[in-house]
Amino acid sequence: MRIAQHPILGTYEKGQKVHFTLDGQDMVGYEGESIAAALHAAGVMTHRYTAKQHKPRGIFCAIGRCTDCVMIVDGQPNVRTCITELKEGMNIQTQYGVETKEAWEAKNK
Amino acid sequence: MKRHEVLVIGAGPAGLSAAIEAAKNGMDVAVFDENARPGGQLFKQIHKFFGSKEHHAKERGFNIGKDLLKEARDLGVKVYLDATVMGIYYDKEILVNHNGEVDHFKGDTIVIATGAAENMVSFKGWDKPGVIGAGAAQALMNLQGVQPGEKILMVGSGNVGLVVSFQLLQAGCQVAAVIDAAPRVGGYGVHASKVARTGVPFYMKHTVVEALGEDKVEGAVIAEVDDHFQPIPGTEKTLDVDTICIAVGLSPMSQLADNAGCEMKFLPKKGGNVPVVNEYNETSMDGIFCCGDVAGIEEASSAMLQGKIAGSTASYKNGYIDEDEWQQSVEKYRASLEQLRTGMFAPQNKGRTDMTETDEGIPLSKSLLAKGYVTDEELAEFPACSTKVSGVHPVIECTQNIPCDPCQDACKFGCIKVGSNISKLPVINPEATCTGCGMCIASCSGQAIFLVNEDYEDGFATVALPYEFLPLPQAGDKGKALDRSGKPVCDAEIVSVKSSKVMDMTNILTMKVPVEYAGTARFYRA
Repeated sequence: MRIAQHPILGTYEKGQKVHFTLDGQDMVGYEGESIAAALHAAGVMTHRYTAKQHKPRGIFCAIGRCTDCVMIVDGQPNVRTCITELKEGMNIQTQYGVETKEAWEAKNK
Repeated sequence: MKRHEVLVIGAGPAGLSAAIEAAKNGMDVAVFDENARPGGQLFKQIHKFFGSKEHHAKERGFNIGKDLLKEARDLGVKVYLDATVMGIYYDKEILVNHNGEVDHFKGDTIVIATGAAENMVSFKGWDKPGVIGAGAAQALMNLQGVQPGEKILMVGSGNVGLVVSFQLLQAGCQVAAVIDAAPRVGGYGVHASKVARTGVPFYMKHTVVEALGEDKVEGAVIAEVDDHFQPIPGTEKTLDVDTICIAVGLSPMSQLADNAGCEMKFLPKKGGNVPVVNEYNETSMDGIFCCGDVAGIEEASSAMLQGKIAGSTASYKNGYIDEDEWQQSVEKYRASLEQLRTGMFAPQNKGRTDMTETDEGIPLSKSLLAKGYVTDEELAEFPACSTKVSGVHPVIECTQNIPCDPCQDACKFGCIKVGSNISKLPVINPEATCTGCGMCIASCSGQAIFLVNEDYEDGFATVALPYEFLPLPQAGDKGKALDRSGKPVCDAEIVSVKSSKVMDMTNILTMKVPVEYAGTARFYRA
């Protein structure tokens, strides 16, 4: 959930409203916020599944150190979504191992 | 290859302070930071800092960050962002990964101010989405404006755990509990008290044993631990939470110092493997300095002073200031640093469990260490907490020796005195007259000051308290008064709400309660 009004910080400075997709679904966020924040505000918890055990991973450190939150952004895998700014029209995909769901499923049939 | 006289690695409080000091003395300084935004962790810190005026006490961290950045930029310090320093090589040369390219930089002085990384604990399900670090919680709520979760379990009762718990409450989240495997609350008692009085339970000697849920956290199982920190079977409790926040300490990020060839030492009191530094924060390598958390975990306030000492020393060694100037400035900064390194929480006292009384000889509150709040009986021992005074007067529930003194500057009428040793407990001057202005309440970084008036009306007293939550109550609102443990004790009516620029977002609520609750009512809930 977004914080509309904060007792110390007031309102948050946000960029323009932007549209992006997550696994083909239309989503809305604000330019300049992190991809991870926009996803978290929309209730998305799983950013990727691990390669071997297929376990879900999400935001963990949120400062670009742990790489738990990496996703496929505009075709590029392993993008740290917590420190990558959201832009209009971004195509974001849940990462399976280091690939898209389709590629991973084709391999693991 | 580019050249700057001083290369500072890390644009947090230590690095920026070092850069400012060296640039002030005329040096050409560049600062590198791997993040897109400078300021280190300062911009996540929305609470008021401790210390004295010279340490930026009662200023909020993010405002200190803004000031430091402005000062650095005004002095012509070059700040490279998204610039990861990959290594330090012979003769003060560094490699920087900047915008996807690798650049060489060469300097005469290097200041390593890379800060610290969060420690973690592992438990069943700790890798599930919904288990996050305390820094992640701060990044989401204080930088991005997004709640980390709805109901949160805080693991760790050090200052980070306590401060972040309070910030979660300010962000509108619920904190289900603060737990710690240690038998005592690790952080400042005042930080614990401001969380406890809102009704958050503290479970010391408890650990988290499992994060429940399929694809994300849907609950947490905690259990009591024995003296060897092992969970005791049968003591498990399940908490209804969607987020588990981990705040179990920090470790210095000292890899670059090690890589540069600095002599390293593993010092648990400093938080791990740290470079050995001399009294000027210089490492065993001539011209390479380490300051802030990388040289040993401390507060941002001491990091800033270490940075200044390093910056001043670099200026002297490179001929920008003479020996007298250098000695004078270092002495000033060192005296200021020494002030911060006093009291129960000073670095030399880290991990001590044998302290039973304050410097003044008053028994320390056991309840505070076990549950996060001081009992009425314990509080009665503290002279600044007396309620037997006629008319409006301050009650200062400051029961540990912490280096902090804004309260004595805040009172223009001389009611409050801490003295020159800023870790002393404040005392109230019975000769001075309190006007009830409330400046002391807003100045107290620990939110430990209340103004009490037992003579408000027949049978009723007023209690004025600091309030940093939304929605802000209005005069005439009726609700419940909570005691220090967060338990509702009586009806309360808001008689006034004071906010002003000088109080910097700390509002003062004055509530009317039956006079017998003047000494116990410490929080208001609508």
